[in-house]
Amino acid sequence: MKVRKALSILLASVLTLGLMGCSDAPKQEASSDAAAETAEPAAEAEAAPAEDAGSGDKITVAIWDSNQQPGIQELLDDWSKESGIKAETQVINWNEYWTLLEAGASGGTLPDVFWMHSNQSQRYMENGLLLDLTDKIAASDKIDLSNYYEDITKLYESDGKIYALPKDIDTIALWYNKTMFDEAGVEYPNAEWTWDDFYEAAKKLTKDDGSQWGYAINTGNNQDSYYNMVYDYGGYIINDDKTKSGYDDPNTIKAMQFVEKMLREGLCPELEVISENGADVLFQSGKVAMVTQGSWMVAGFRDNEYTNKNCDVAVLPMGPDGKRVSIYNGLGWAAAANGKNTDAAWSLIEYLGTEAAQLKQAQLGVTMSAYKGTSDAWVNSVDCFNLKGHLDMLDAELVIRPYSRNTNVWEDMAIEKFKAAWTGEITMEEACKQVAESMNASLAEE
Amino acid sequence: MKKELNAKTTSREKSEFIWGWLLILPTIIGLLILNIIPIFQTIYQSFFKTCDFGKGNIFVGFDNYSKMFQDQAVWQALWNTIRYAIVEVPISIILALILAVFLNRKMRGKTIYRTIFFLPMVAAPAAIAMVWRWLYNSEFGLINHIIGHKINWISNPDSAIYSIAVIGIWSIVGYNMVLFLAGLQEVPRDYYEAASIDGASGMHQFFNITVPLISPTIFFVAVTRVIGAFQVFDLIYMVMDKTNPALQKTQSLVYLFYRYSFTEANKGYGSAIIVLLLFVILFITIIQLIAQKKWVHYN
Repeated sequence: MKVRKALSILLASVLTLGLMGCSDAPKQEASSDAAAETAEPAAEAEAAPAEDAGSGDKITVAIWDSNQQPGIQELLDDWSKESGIKAETQVINWNEYWTLLEAGASGGTLPDVFWMHSNQSQRYMENGLLLDLTDKIAASDKIDLSNYYEDITKLYESDGKIYALPKDIDTIALWYNKTMFDEAGVEYPNAEWTWDDFYEAAKKLTKDDGSQWGYAINTGNNQDSYYNMVYDYGGYIINDDKTKSGYDDPNTIKAMQFVEKMLREGLCPELEVISENGADVLFQSGKVAMVTQGSWMVAGFRDNEYTNKNCDVAVLPMGPDGKRVSIYNGLGWAAAANGKNTDAAWSLIEYLGTEAAQLKQAQLGVTMSAYKGTSDAWVNSVDCFNLKGHLDMLDAELVIRPYSRNTNVWEDMAIEKFKAAWTGEITMEEACKQVAESMNASLAEE
Repeated sequence: MKKELNAKTTSREKSEFIWGWLLILPTIIGLLILNIIPIFQTIYQSFFKTCDFGKGNIFVGFDNYSKMFQDQAVWQALWNTIRYAIVEVPISIILALILAVFLNRKMRGKTIYRTIFFLPMVAAPAAIAMVWRWLYNSEFGLINHIIGHKINWISNPDSAIYSIAVIGIWSIVGYNMVLFLAGLQEVPRDYYEAASIDGASGMHQFFNITVPLISPTIFFVAVTRVIGAFQVFDLIYMVMDKTNPALQKTQSLVYLFYRYSFTEANKGYGSAIIVLLLFVILFITIIQLIAQKKWVHYN
């Protein structure tokens, strides 16, 4: 009898846990229920502001990077002390973030303040979903747009109006495992390296038994992997008018063939291994000697015991002609145009854009800040890595991450089409041409 | 009888009628708002080229459909979905039936076993998928660690869908089992006693008494599971990364719908895909309803 009672209690508690788990992931269910379509995600988005209606003066801030969450919350708390309004971060991972935002935008219930990204910003700005900050910035004595990196400000400008305030800037750099370099007797990467030196080093760092690879390419994120090589080799991804793909440019193909060579020769783990684990996890678990990663990963690598002890960072290698490019990007702080409390939202954004807050963001090691001259604080924010590698990339040729109005469509298409080239079913040249053709078609539709 | 007493019971019948409707009203409203209206909205939307955030949609007639019929990915996804269903539904039903028969006997710890088998049902699907993803991992996964071989369970295009189906079977088998257990309670004991006296073996009893007598339950489970299997999404979404080389050969129709509708913001095309799924499910269910006359026995 006793056993049965205990069991039923156990079952009941598991049930409740299960239910809680479900409410954490309602999106999956909503999406699997084909007919419900947007109804449920919209309701989800609605739930967030609805909760706050009680307290009246709480602001929800949506972000997608859990690594940055503690630091961002600290900044929000500082603002709360000044304004007396509570602000709370909600972390929703990258994929779901845009689904939720899209549903919220269609249903008229966006979070109060949220991150904007160049992949999506155009559509949101053109449809008037973001709060127009132009006049507010002009009237503010704390914000002067000339203090931020110009290209990032420009990402969030449409028709001469400004819809988001720059939050950060990122650069890509070469992360390497010192222990593995020492073991193989290879010199650490330095500023003189070309991609060919990189290739030679990767060759020495790869073990035949499959326990260690020289390099892992992050096939899911072009910005921190092959985009840099493409531009180093003199190629491009998209032309300035956003009308034509550069994937069939001979130089682009050359760069992509470089990656192909690394995979074919087994210096990179095969696609199966990368996709199941992710390049950063392989690096963090001591399976690969080098990865190219963005500065947004610093907090993650710092908090990982293994990378903290064994790894460091250097500038990216150069192309054959000595060209060194960093594909960079920066997020913006945006607010909902139809938010309930747009004044508070602006006050928060304004605060986050001030020199003090931007400096603190850098000092906390959250990310490099978009405010010029704050990067040194970021370099000093961790003592386990020499972040100069990332900082020096700011002096390289900066190319803003290629984007167009509907970037996701052709980015996902490219990821899908390149799989055949990574696995060796077709040659890289063929894949590049296919991608270019398909990308041109989708650009024509934009 | 009722008809004869018609005049006397009108007021009672009337109140029964009202109460009956009142009691099912919440369900009806829920069905209407959450299922039926969206179905028609989805069909309607599938004739449009949808623009950003649902504003300014352009009517395009059957364009989405003609694009869909030429889209290799859609047919591949349909085939993936069918392969998933072919594996998941029969195996989960057979396993559940066997388990139910064993757990219907008098034995020690029966409740514990029932609880254990039912547990996957109460866990969040997303959590289940995450755990299995790591079990299957080719580098660090427990399964490969135990068998000592490196097998790409979820990134081999030829077999990944079956690995996903195994998760599906594992999650659903307990639920099916509970339904079968309920069905087994309806089977009178004396049938078995009579069969034993006549010398029928356990196997004979199972196929000649148990299966025919709970065939209505089997039919119900089969219909609902086929529909469920055709709507598979969360397992694939959670287990398969978008860089996975096996994704093309694994993604289901609902996954494709999700990608087009939400990632690529092309809701019109996504709707067309889901309408295709609706008709596929409708077709299969109708066939099942017709076929049941041959094998389902109602007392």
